[in-house]
Amino acid sequence: MAVYKRTYKAYSGPLTPAWSRFTVLSRYGLANLFASRPFTAYTVLCFIPFLIGLAYIYIVHSSTAAAVLGISVGNAMPGTVNNVWFVGFLGWEVAMGFILAAWGGPGMITKDFANHSVQLYLSRPISRAEYLFGKVSVLGALLSCTTWIPALLLFFIKAELQGHGWLWDNLWMAGAIVIGCLLWIATIALLSMTVAVWVKWRIAATALMLAIVFLLPALGAVVDLILRTQWGNLINLPYVISVIWAHLFRLDSLNRHHGGFDAIPLWSAWASLLSICAFCVWMLDRKLRAREVERA
Amino acid sequence: MPAIIEMQNLTVRLGNRVILDRLNGSLSGRCIGLLGPNGSGKSTLINTLLGFYPPVAGGARVLGKEVQHHLRELRAAIGYMPESDAFIADMSGVRFVRYMAELSGLPRSEAMERAHEAFFYVGLGEARYRKLGTYSLGMKQLAKLAQAIAHGPRLVLLDEPTNGLDPEARVRMLQLVREIRDTGEVTVLISSHLLRDIEECCDQVLILKEGRIAALCNLEEERKANLKFLELEVTQGNGFLESVRGLGCECASFGAGRVRIILPDNIDLRQIYRTAAEHEVQIRRMNYRRDTLEDIFLKAMAGSPQAQGSANGRL
Repeated sequence: MAVYKRTYKAYSGPLTPAWSRFTVLSRYGLANLFASRPFTAYTVLCFIPFLIGLAYIYIVHSSTAAAVLGISVGNAMPGTVNNVWFVGFLGWEVAMGFILAAWGGPGMITKDFANHSVQLYLSRPISRAEYLFGKVSVLGALLSCTTWIPALLLFFIKAELQGHGWLWDNLWMAGAIVIGCLLWIATIALLSMTVAVWVKWRIAATALMLAIVFLLPALGAVVDLILRTQWGNLINLPYVISVIWAHLFRLDSLNRHHGGFDAIPLWSAWASLLSICAFCVWMLDRKLRAREVERA
Repeated sequence: MPAIIEMQNLTVRLGNRVILDRLNGSLSGRCIGLLGPNGSGKSTLINTLLGFYPPVAGGARVLGKEVQHHLRELRAAIGYMPESDAFIADMSGVRFVRYMAELSGLPRSEAMERAHEAFFYVGLGEARYRKLGTYSLGMKQLAKLAQAIAHGPRLVLLDEPTNGLDPEARVRMLQLVREIRDTGEVTVLISSHLLRDIEECCDQVLILKEGRIAALCNLEEERKANLKFLELEVTQGNGFLESVRGLGCECASFGAGRVRIILPDNIDLRQIYRTAAEHEVQIRRMNYRRDTLEDIFLKAMAGSPQAQGSANGRL
C-alpha cells in the first residue's frame, strides 16, 4: 500500500524466521531501557568494579606499576587473585547488577500490562514463552555483560599474566564463574518478571524486588533468632546463592565458616533456589496471559 | 465463496461460566458482522479464534486451519484490533506499528515502510511521530487499526472499532473498513453492538445471544430477497387484489388502501401497474419494503437462541 495511492494491499514479501521473533522484543526492550539517561549512566557505572579488578591484576603482576604507585607487592596488596578474590569481585558485580535488574526489569513488562498491550503481542505469531524469553533475554544480556563476561575476561587476563599453567590448574574456576553467574541471572530475571506480572506497577514491582532481597533476609534472621535455628536462611535469597557459590568456587571450610556459608547444607540451598524458580514459572504461567479471566 | 471461519460445536468456558455454548456455523462473507448485546460472547469468540481461550469442546477453523493446531500460522495471517486501549504510551505511533509488524515477521525495513504507509492510509500520517499517549481517542482507534493491517493480514478482526468515536470519526472508521473490504484481499470481521455499523459494512451477520447463535444470515441475500416485497397504497378498486393474486402473487390488505404484495420471480413490476390500470386503481405510493438489520436483530433477540443442532439457520 503505497502512501500516495492510499489503498490497502496485502504483504507478500519475505518474512523473518519464526525462531528469531523473540529478538524483536529484546531489541526494542534494550532500546527502551537505554532511552533513559540515568539508566545508561548506571549501566556504565556497573563496569567500574571490572576496571578496578583489571587495574589490581595488572598492578599485582607489574613491579614497575607497583613501584610507580609506591606499593610493595605482597605487603600492601590485600591478597592474591584466587577463588576468594573472584568471589569478592563477583559479589560487587552482582550487587550492582541486582540494582540494574530491579530498575530495568519490571518496567519492561509492567508497561505492557499497564497499556493492555500483551494481547497485541500474543495476537502475533509468538507464544507466551517466546514473549517471556524475549524480555528475560534483555536482562540476561545486560547482567551477563556486567557479571560473568568481565569476570571471565579478568580470569583470562590473570591466566595470561601469571602463565606457568595457572589457566589449566584453575580452569574449574572459569566454569564456576559462568555457572554461578548464570544461576544468579536466571533467578533474578525470573523473579523480576514474576514480580512485574503480579504487581503490574513498575515502582511497586521494583520496591517488592528490593523487599525480597533485603527484607526477607531480615525476616529469616528473626525466625532464626526466635526458633534458635538456621533454617530461616532458606528465605534469604542472597545467602542461598552464596552457599551454592561457596561450593562452586571451592571455598575451603575456613572461608565458608568465616563467611557464614555453612549454616545450611548445600542440598537445602539448591532446593530453596529451585523452589523459588519453580514458583516463579508457575506464577508466570498463571498470570502471563493475553486475557485475564475474572472468576465469578 | 470458501468459508473463512467454521465453528463445530464450539464451547468455551471461563471459570465456571459457559460463555460460548455449542456454536455451529460457517462464515464466508467479505465483511462479517458479529452482533449481540453486551455479554453475549462476541469478544470471547474473537479471543477464541485468536487462540487466547481454548475451547472445552468442539473447535473452530479459520482460513481453513484448525485454530488450536495452527496458531502461529493463523496469527501471522490475522490482524487484530482489540476493543480496549492497547498500545505503548511512550512510543511514537509509527514505531509502535513498526514494532508490531516486525513481531508479525516483517523484516525491519519492510516493517518501517509499511508502518508509515499504514499511518497514512488511516489518515494519521501527520501525527505518526507523536507519542501514542498524546493521541485522542479517535486517533488511538485509528492507530490500533493501523497496527492491525500493517503486516498485510488476510483476516482482520475488529472488536468494537467505533467505540467512543464521535460521528465524524465513526464515519471515517467505517469508510476505512469498507475500503479494506472492497480491495478483496482481506476479510473483515467486526464485532459491534451498533446495528448501523454492521449494516453499513457487512454482507454477513452472526448474531449471538447468551453465548449461542441467535441468527446467522447473509445480509446481501436478505436484501435481494426483500426487493420482491412491495408495499402499496392504492385507491379502492374492486377486483384488484384478486387479479394480483391471479398473477401468482401473495398479497394482503391492511385497510385504508394499504396493500402488501410478495412478487414471485416471474412477475414483473409492470404487470402490477397494468393490473392496476385495468381496474382503474390509482397507486398513490409504492415502495420496496425490506427487513432492516434492526428487524432481523429484534426477531433474533425475541426468539430463543438456537438449540444444539438447529443453529446455522437463516432467519
